[in-house]
Amino acid sequence: MWATNLKIVGIVLGTLAVYTLIANKIPQVQSEVPQTLTLGANVTPEQLVAAGEKVFNGIGGCTTCHGLGTRAPNLLTDEKGTGPIGARCGKREAGKNCKQYLYESLDQPTAYIVAGYQPIMPVMTKQLSPPQIWAVIAFLESQGGTIDVTASDIPATSSTSTTSTTSTGSGGGGGAAFAGGSTDPKAIIQAAGCLVCHKLDGQGQTIAPDLTHVGSRRDAESIRKKILDPMSSIAKGYEKLAGIMPKTFGTMMNASQLEALAQFLAAHK
Amino acid sequence: MTHDLLLALQAAADTSHAYGEFPLLGARQWIWITAEVHLMFAAFVLGVPMFAVVTEAIGIFGHDDRYDRLSKEFTRLLLVAYSATAIWGTMLVFALSTLYPRFWAYLTAIFAPSMWLYAALFLIESFTLYLYYYGWDRWKKGRAKLWHWTLGILLNVWGTIVMFIANSWLTYMMSPPRDITPTTDPTTIKLWHAISNATWMPINVHRLIANVVFGGAIVGAYASYRFLAARTDEERAHYDWMGYVGNFIAMSALIVLPFAGYWLGREIYQYDQSMGITMMGGFMSWLWVIQAFLIAVLFLTGNYYLWIGMGRIPGAERFQPYTKYLLIVLVLGAIVWGTPHTMIADSKELAAMGGSHHPFLGALGVMSAKNTAVNLMILTTFLSFLLYRRANKRPVVPWARTGTLIQAAMFAIAAAIVLFYGIRGYFVEAIVRIGFSVYQVLAVLSCILFVTVIDVLMARGAQSLGTIQWGKMPPRSQYALFILAVTFTWLMGLMGFARSGIRQYWHVWQVMQDTSKYAATPALGYASKMISLCVLIFLSLVAFVFWLGGLAEKSTYVAEKGPGHVGH
Repeated sequence: MWATNLKIVGIVLGTLAVYTLIANKIPQVQSEVPQTLTLGANVTPEQLVAAGEKVFNGIGGCTTCHGLGTRAPNLLTDEKGTGPIGARCGKREAGKNCKQYLYESLDQPTAYIVAGYQPIMPVMTKQLSPPQIWAVIAFLESQGGTIDVTASDIPATSSTSTTSTTSTGSGGGGGAAFAGGSTDPKAIIQAAGCLVCHKLDGQGQTIAPDLTHVGSRRDAESIRKKILDPMSSIAKGYEKLAGIMPKTFGTMMNASQLEALAQFLAAHK
Repeated sequence: MTHDLLLALQAAADTSHAYGEFPLLGARQWIWITAEVHLMFAAFVLGVPMFAVVTEAIGIFGHDDRYDRLSKEFTRLLLVAYSATAIWGTMLVFALSTLYPRFWAYLTAIFAPSMWLYAALFLIESFTLYLYYYGWDRWKKGRAKLWHWTLGILLNVWGTIVMFIANSWLTYMMSPPRDITPTTDPTTIKLWHAISNATWMPINVHRLIANVVFGGAIVGAYASYRFLAARTDEERAHYDWMGYVGNFIAMSALIVLPFAGYWLGREIYQYDQSMGITMMGGFMSWLWVIQAFLIAVLFLTGNYYLWIGMGRIPGAERFQPYTKYLLIVLVLGAIVWGTPHTMIADSKELAAMGGSHHPFLGALGVMSAKNTAVNLMILTTFLSFLLYRRANKRPVVPWARTGTLIQAAMFAIAAAIVLFYGIRGYFVEAIVRIGFSVYQVLAVLSCILFVTVIDVLMARGAQSLGTIQWGKMPPRSQYALFILAVTFTWLMGLMGFARSGIRQYWHVWQVMQDTSKYAATPALGYASKMISLCVLIFLSLVAFVFWLGGLAEKSTYVAEKGPGHVGH
């Protein structure tokens, strides 16, 4: 019986060893906690590129669409024979150099839509800090182009930021609120960049449903729910764009702001 | 001003006492071990009663005492396992309250009433188990036996409620309702609102099925050990049969498990797409390749056990030439399922690969190919079961040939539907493609259902080609059952890591951040070592439980032979 017992122990340990070995042989990726990004006045292009690559592959969430090459243009290798983004960014829009075009893509993504793609990119300047934005631009320029981002591009007041805008520091400690916590609905709408996709009172885009008469379709409760959980209901005709509205707005507003915004929009009958 | 200063000081004090440390191992490692081993025991004590009560019912209504004895033997394993579950659960609670006090205080502020109910139900469940086991021989006949069976049902009811309650805590950590923010005072959160979060019910269903799989696999390992240690042919025959039943239950439930997994994955995506992407395409993408490998091992080993088992069935030699074709389908399916899709790669790696996907393998790494592969593997495994089931039977009903042709046609149609939607999936948008998996699943499930019904009807009055020679199995078949048990247990640990790891550096997703030194989520290599350690601890303790079960049986045996020696 001892021989059988030893065989059983051997099989158990052998099986565990094989699984552990295989799991250790594949590429090892650890999910890091977002670190503070410090870009001083003497930041070098290499430092910018390194920081930008981290944001691109991490908190920026850029690879979600650009990494696949199906939802959005491939930026890192080749896009339909035009090369990586650094090689083509200066030729995209007349009168705009690479740096200007890339900033516009992050700040007003709907200003120029590459043929064959949907206008689904969120406004990254609302989600990332200026140092992160400029680091990403430097990283994208480095993909086959020339890096001309310098420390002077980065606003002096924001040379330090964390790499996560959704980070709240110590847990439960409160999150950053739009517009400095103002409960003025117009200030919140402006700060949150709602009009980049929605139209309201004649202003804004029509990528997402027009909010001018949103109060006739939804009450305040429904609007609140929609902001907190954008997938809770999808407006008719906009099914293809489901999932585009960021889910973080609810966590980026305090309760008073959310209430003020919901009531304001519900009043737009 | 003074008030603000006091608040700030209080916040600093709270933060400084947010985390404790555990000697030698570290806080996270100790939590990991206690939680994982507790969960493994919990899965065992929830899974085994499910089929204990089913086998008892087969014994009662089928008038077959073998099933009743089998059910009692399952239940005997539960007694010590319950104690182990409670002990490890207590260790987990103490570890949480001392090593993660701020997080624990947060959870208790929301869930306290459910925790009280949990403890009360666990107590009731334990006493129901004692009544169920120790009353077995007393309530053996007539109406009393039905009451006894009712106790078994109650045992399952209590256990399921207990699991649902515990699931609400961990699913809240994954998917807190969206109106709950970092500034929400936990004492103001309604209990039911927190419980009924987005992933609660998918996890409940997934765990319910997985527990049956897990319980079946562990019972199979127990039976295989007793088979190998058996001294008589009767004993060997009994444990061979028990191992077969354990494996049958595990594999049958495993076939349904991927569908529950899809539902859970879909809910995670719907709750938060970024979490879904982290899970499937982010830093955890390689985990699914390992999962595919493990499931391939399960399918191959489960089928291998069946194919060896056909050696003890007269008439099975008719079907043995087909097993090589089944093996080819399973291996090809496993290869496709294990092909990586989206992986984290830096720009140099992407450039070397020529894009984010491998030029050839990329086509196999997408869900269209994977869904097709896994559905065909499920169909193949079902076909193995069918051949095993029919091995020693020759149907005599006049429509036997037509019935077999209809069964074959159902297999062919199901496979064709799976392949059609698999290929079509390459030419449609993602949202349409996701819907195709439903058609594939329905085709496979319908095939399983209707083919089984036809088979049961065809088996009526079937001519027997000989009885199954229970006990005449080579030892390698029993070692296969051990590999199944180890693989199921390891897979459970891996999926636990996936579920918990996608929260990354959050205790409660986007509500409470982990600010401890263990906040980073480790890579798969490190996780695999922790999983193996937990599996080793669990299996060692289970072996001890089995040994104790054997001791209890021996003492009963002595008492029967010589009552005068009882107590000596």
